[in-house]
Amino acid sequence: MTSVTHHSPTAAVSRALSPDSIGLLVRLGLIAAICIFLTFVSEGFATTDNLLNILRQASLLFLIASGLTLVIIGGGLDLSIGANLTLCACLAAATIKATGQPMAGAAVALGCGTLVGLTNGVLINRLKLPAFLATFGMLWVAQGLAYRFMAGQTIYGFPPGFRTWGIGFFLGVPVPIWIALAVGLCGLIFLARSTLGREVYFMGANETAAVLSGIPVGRRRTLLYALSGAMAGLSALVYIARLNAAEPGIGEPLLLPAIAAVLVGGTSLFGGRGTIVGTFLGALILTLIVKALNALNVDAAWHPVVTGVTLLLALLADAALNRGGRK
Amino acid sequence: MLSKRIVTSIIAASAIAMPLMGSQAHAAGEVVAAFTKNQVDPHFDGVRAGVEQMAKKMDAKVRNYMPTKPNNITEGMAQLEDVGVTKPNVILFMPIDPKAQLPTIKRLIEAGTPIVNYNDRAGDAPYLAFVGQDDFKLGHDIAKALFDHLGGKGNVVILEGIRGSNTGDERKRGFDAALKEYPNIKLLASQPANFQRLLGQQVMENLMQQFNSIDGVIAAADASALGAAEALKSAGRDKVAVVSINGVPEAVEAVKNGSLLAIAEFNGFKIGCVATEIALKAIRGESVPKQILIPGAIITKANHAEWLVPYTQRTCPTAASFAGK
Amino acid sequence: MTDHTADNALRHEALWRRIPGVVLILIAMVAWFAIGNPRFLSGDNLANLGLQASLLLMLALPMTLIILTAGLDLSVGALLGLCGVVIAALLVAGWSLIVAVGAALAVGLIIGLINGYLVSYLSLPAFVVTLGTLGISEGLALAISHGDPIGGFTPSIEAFYRSTVGGVPTPVIAAALFCGLLWLILYRTRFGNYIFAIGGNKEALHLAGVKANLVHMAVYVLCSLSVALSALLLLGRTNSAHPSVAVGMEFEAIAAVVLGGTSFEKGQGWLLGTVLGVLAITVLRNGLNVLSVEPSLQVLCVGLMLIVALLIDRGRKGEMAGAAG
Repeated sequence: MTSVTHHSPTAAVSRALSPDSIGLLVRLGLIAAICIFLTFVSEGFATTDNLLNILRQASLLFLIASGLTLVIIGGGLDLSIGANLTLCACLAAATIKATGQPMAGAAVALGCGTLVGLTNGVLINRLKLPAFLATFGMLWVAQGLAYRFMAGQTIYGFPPGFRTWGIGFFLGVPVPIWIALAVGLCGLIFLARSTLGREVYFMGANETAAVLSGIPVGRRRTLLYALSGAMAGLSALVYIARLNAAEPGIGEPLLLPAIAAVLVGGTSLFGGRGTIVGTFLGALILTLIVKALNALNVDAAWHPVVTGVTLLLALLADAALNRGGRK
Repeated sequence: MLSKRIVTSIIAASAIAMPLMGSQAHAAGEVVAAFTKNQVDPHFDGVRAGVEQMAKKMDAKVRNYMPTKPNNITEGMAQLEDVGVTKPNVILFMPIDPKAQLPTIKRLIEAGTPIVNYNDRAGDAPYLAFVGQDDFKLGHDIAKALFDHLGGKGNVVILEGIRGSNTGDERKRGFDAALKEYPNIKLLASQPANFQRLLGQQVMENLMQQFNSIDGVIAAADASALGAAEALKSAGRDKVAVVSINGVPEAVEAVKNGSLLAIAEFNGFKIGCVATEIALKAIRGESVPKQILIPGAIITKANHAEWLVPYTQRTCPTAASFAGK
Repeated sequence: MTDHTADNALRHEALWRRIPGVVLILIAMVAWFAIGNPRFLSGDNLANLGLQASLLLMLALPMTLIILTAGLDLSVGALLGLCGVVIAALLVAGWSLIVAVGAALAVGLIIGLINGYLVSYLSLPAFVVTLGTLGISEGLALAISHGDPIGGFTPSIEAFYRSTVGGVPTPVIAAALFCGLLWLILYRTRFGNYIFAIGGNKEALHLAGVKANLVHMAVYVLCSLSVALSALLLLGRTNSAHPSVAVGMEFEAIAAVVLGGTSFEKGQGWLLGTVLGVLAITVLRNGLNVLSVEPSLQVLCVGLMLIVALLIDRGRKGEMAGAAG
């Protein structure tokens, strides 16, 4: 990291990607190991139904974590995604109930999410507030608005057409998995194939160099926050379609798992490193671990311990890989 | 078969609960400080609606207190302390954790603020009264309703409330007592779902993986039951009968459309109404019973309409209607 | 270390310009609340404020040192819960208070060493490391307590918490003493100088022959140890140990530190500013309760206050960008 100034964006990307691909392989290996283990331990694990169920749970976590991945790769942080999801869910649910139009609800959710994300972006990049605090403040603001809007009630009972987004099947595969797949594909193309994506890696890895080479870092980052907000909005739709209800406590418990999925997936909080696929694998690993613990009849209390240890191990493994890859 | 007749249970410690006659000086405009546990669960919305309506009827003002983070004990402590400063005329209190909050409660009462304990029991302190329901009985009744529906045999799972909470533990004790009476009902698993929807859904998904044959689900609260019903429906196992306790409008609608079999009524609205009436009467110098236990019906498809009415359009029952007068 | 005095002067200059932001907000809030309800400034309420601030202060002060090293500790809230559970469980099992506190300190030491070693020697990001230990601490607390609150231990802890010295609650005095101690460490010892230097330029410190990694690790250990001691305050306050009672408090502690003018970068900060930050958060929440502001608005106000305070500071300082650690 000493003489980065001389590298072109492409060089930065290729350097960032190679240890990443090894990291992805390691994660795939881990997933395979857990699956093989579960096949033997838990009867009924290796059934299509169960595997699809696991993929669906992982997809939900992935959706909310995917936007966060972009923000973190670009050198930022977004603590408001959970509360943002709550606010979007409540507003969208009210819209769908009032109009009967799922599309109107979708527009409201995506609009609200993007707006909250955009506000984060402006606070952080225009007004130069620290990302941690600005998004933490926004967490309270969005949560407060959601409480105020809902006034202690829940909104429930959506039209079947809308519920398909959460519980439906397409070609035998749950719809949320398709949505996650589409999002993942877009994210993949965006990060790996577009100039914008390469700029995101570059400015995450070395902000000064990115500014010097003429990348409008502030505006790019604002865009990432807006994207992250939009993903919170999209996730909100899938969540309420699945739950058939919106309540103002829906999003808050999702923040730390989402962050954990991003980090277990190998994205670095220092910025400039990480992949969308990694985040999906991270979400899948976290979901599988819970299944494995359940299969072993481990008390639910131990789940956070195992998640924490997994996080630390992922971190150590990546650090070791990077050291190996660099020198 | 489901709607067993429920007997009104009153333990009137102040043996003669005769309201004083007409010429009582009504010092209207008192402030009632009402504590609830969160702004997420509609049950507490029902409580607040009941408090609001009765206070309005009796010319009193309401101030609501609830933690910003759901069921957060440190915030709950701070709010109790802060309310001591504002000196409301009476406090309606439900504990987030009785052990933690009891000392502060005792100090408030010593300092001259009268307190009515409502919704769930908050330990031993000189409260004006307790207004609530019998959680053990609710648990027992709803479990029996399910077991009778199953014809007295089958495999069931329990989604518990928050372990260690009075409400959760009492309801669980009720489930267990009913299980003892039905030897052919087999309990496959009993796991906490913390009165939550998402957790209820996930626990149910996991239990379905573990057990191929589940005939019934007993949930300690509507939210978990609704989550579990969603999980069952997505897995195509919606013939499994799900029962719960509470009766928030969403759950009653689920009874109407058949995704829940029955609910034991734990009626926040009524609790809020009666607690407020008792509190205001007591500080206006009338004598009040030390305890009012509001009976809970079993809500089924046959009788659900009453509970579908939004809280704001319901009418408060009087405390006297539960005191047998 | 030749330009040490110049460095110091710069630091003081920076302080001077930093004081007003949060002070302005504090003055405005105090005026607003005092006009809204004169009881806000009563002795009772000031004692409440002190009690409510003391626990957050015990977390935020050592957090300041960590943030000065350009780090972060997300595990403090969960660790606080874990240490509370450890102390309570040992007391209930019949061990003496000294053994129980010793065990809590040992737990704090281990978590602190893990945090410190990974962050300092292996240069791993503090956010991820401490998020990992957050999970570990939270889970252990849940496992030891089986998710239930542990109560029924010696009343001496609560008696201590509720005692006063010259009318001032003992916990407030304890927090003040702790603040003085950290102030001495930070501003009057070489260790303190090194802390500032680690945030500024760890490499240079290394080259100057200081065991920079050891110092860096010691900061995390110091933080975890003080969290372990603070568990006594928490136990005294809640009279029982809740496994996940303080999860989420880490974010409030960090917010208080940053409100107080310590930045995530470059080793710039001010210990006493943290006291102001803690006061700002506590005064806001207490005042909103005293004015009986509606709970959903309270949540909104906390967020707006954080953002407005930062914007004021931003406007005053002109530059010095901050990003996530």
